[in-house]
Amino acid sequence: MGELVVDKHVKYILSVEKRKDSFESVVLEHLRMNGAYWGLTTLDLLGKLDALDSNEVIQWIMKCQHESGGFAGNIGHDPHLLYTLSAVQVLALFDKLNVLDADKVANYISGLQNEDGSFSGDEWGEVDSRFSYLAICCLSILHRLDKMNVEKAVNYIASCKNVDGGFGCTPGGESHAGQIFCCVGALAITGSLHHVDKDLLGWWLCERQVKSGGLNGRPEKLPDVCYSWWVLSSLIMIDRVHWINKDKLVKFILNCQDTENGGISDRPEDAVDVFHTYFGVAGLSLLEYPGLKAIDPAHALPVDVVNRIFFQK
Amino acid sequence: MREESMISKGNSLNLLDAFELILESDPLIDEVGFIHPSQFVTLNKEATSSLKHEDANFWSRDHKLAISTDVLLPLYKAAKDAFMHAISQYKRHGNLSDASGYASNLESEAMKHSKALLLLSCDFGTAWNFRKLIVSKKQKIMLFLDELLLSALVLSYSPKSEKAWCHRRWVIKMIAGKCSTLQDIAGKESELVEKIAERSKMNYRAWNHRCWLVSYMTTEQVLHELKKSRNWAGLHVADNSCFHYRTRLMLRIMEEHCHKLEDGTSDENNEIYQIWQEELDWNEALIKRYVGREALWLHRRFLSLSWIRHFTTTLGDTSNYRACKSSINGGIGIFMDNELHLANSCSTIPDNDFEDFQAQTMYSATYILWLTKQISDSQGIELPEKPNHGSLETMLNMACPERSFLWDILTRITGKCDEVLKENNC
Repeated sequence: MGELVVDKHVKYILSVEKRKDSFESVVLEHLRMNGAYWGLTTLDLLGKLDALDSNEVIQWIMKCQHESGGFAGNIGHDPHLLYTLSAVQVLALFDKLNVLDADKVANYISGLQNEDGSFSGDEWGEVDSRFSYLAICCLSILHRLDKMNVEKAVNYIASCKNVDGGFGCTPGGESHAGQIFCCVGALAITGSLHHVDKDLLGWWLCERQVKSGGLNGRPEKLPDVCYSWWVLSSLIMIDRVHWINKDKLVKFILNCQDTENGGISDRPEDAVDVFHTYFGVAGLSLLEYPGLKAIDPAHALPVDVVNRIFFQK
Repeated sequence: MREESMISKGNSLNLLDAFELILESDPLIDEVGFIHPSQFVTLNKEATSSLKHEDANFWSRDHKLAISTDVLLPLYKAAKDAFMHAISQYKRHGNLSDASGYASNLESEAMKHSKALLLLSCDFGTAWNFRKLIVSKKQKIMLFLDELLLSALVLSYSPKSEKAWCHRRWVIKMIAGKCSTLQDIAGKESELVEKIAERSKMNYRAWNHRCWLVSYMTTEQVLHELKKSRNWAGLHVADNSCFHYRTRLMLRIMEEHCHKLEDGTSDENNEIYQIWQEELDWNEALIKRYVGREALWLHRRFLSLSWIRHFTTTLGDTSNYRACKSSINGGIGIFMDNELHLANSCSTIPDNDFEDFQAQTMYSATYILWLTKQISDSQGIELPEKPNHGSLETMLNMACPERSFLWDILTRITGKCDEVLKENNC
């Protein structure tokens, strides 16, 4: 088994931004803000955040802010909670939350809460428990949780719980490891984990580990590196991570590296991308892989960044 | 250098014009795909009717459209630039009075480019949003229905597109109050999901959409869906989403049934009892026919747990608590005996080591342990007797010695039972 090829991953992440020559890379420009979060958080976990010019990034982020206070995925696009959290997270990485008008961002977010406590992703009204997480995590980082109705938000998330202990997009929706991370993360941040049946959910999550050691996101699916993050972080938050085989999972993630050109893919031998590179490295961080910064399972930011947000001042 | 880039920009615009012309000339295109130019030849041989359009970049016939992978990058760039330019113009001048026709011209330009763009980049949210803005301003049913066509077209090349599914829900919510054919729409949507799920296996977004539709269905529709999806599920036993859809339908039926019991408009369990019994029998038959399928065993967990909760705890009334309890225990006892029998019959590993049989043994053992744990955790339901630690241990040892969490759970269940027994003896 190889080791984590840190320098190659750093090189890969720095190169992703410069690639404008293929349809596949250009066609995702509408979610560049998420890409920035994945890439930069990975760099920070690897201890290499200083490899690029933070001013340039911050200027670009602020150009993506809409007059409503929300952030878009790129300049000139419409705002959405998906990109608003990423923007705030990246500013937190650089310790630059002070460039924000926090109340303005918080007003945008709390304005998207619905009567039943759920959140819409943007003004067009689609509801999803993921959006509840985005709102709660973002307001938490901004120290503005009091701007929303936490009790109603928590009750809505609890209403998305299924008989198998997992959570879906809306009440009655199928359990999915990504949704579970969002719901458990939101409940953890708001101190409401008593809504989770930890043994039942832990059981479902542990059954995501397949023979190769990798994790899938739903029954009968192939393993995928991104679930290393979603399943693991959930297991940590509900205190059941000792129930899976960590060594096998570390091996699975390391086997998904492109050891020549850097980057991590969904499964061994597939093409790498920045999304899976982040989830692979973040997963290894949760598994306490040597040389990586620790990551906070609920806020999805390095622990030192989270400590700076909550314990400084 | 500058001349070269101007030429290529000019070419891209021609490309976009050609693309948009095809879209305009055939508004009934219902399928689009990106293909390598070498495949154009094969397409021509297979096609039956006359060619609608063919050059080196596009191919269109029988309301199907193919785009050459060679032109995707310049075409996307041209469509995006044209759209972004058009909406910035629209935002600047769109509020002018319509008299000049200028505003409406800007609007139709932006709509045209947004369509081209979405056929190349399915999750370009700003383009979907712009369409929502225009359509909601006009409030014409026909325009809303056109949006359903466009998103279906996008789903034909990108069946997992989150934004395309979301656009459909937005349209349906918008017309929900105005359109008497809402039930028809729910029915047609459900068919669309099934068609897409056939081509795109285990598509979470598609099935999530179908689950969402359930709240718009009548009771008759829900029963019809339960009947209809059974066939599909039987042919796709590894697709957990379809079994979850059945869970959703069954819970809705159960919910309505409980309301009726509360209102006093019904006092019989027969119909719902029968639905559950049929599903349990059918699931058992599938488990035996398709060896080692996780989704089937997980569906059984749901069926059995809700059976125990609803059909063994509602026997008798609360005034007769003690009598009720004993009949519950008896009921659970018989039920669990049957389940143990099923699990045991699925736990024989033949001499060859086919993975499917090993999986079957593991799923049956974890199924029994899961059910035992749920019962022992539920308030008001007591295990008929202390689970046989020895036999569960043997089963787990045989089936999945590496799943350490199961041992943890097993120890806790038997520990809890010991405590209860001690209390009872005092």
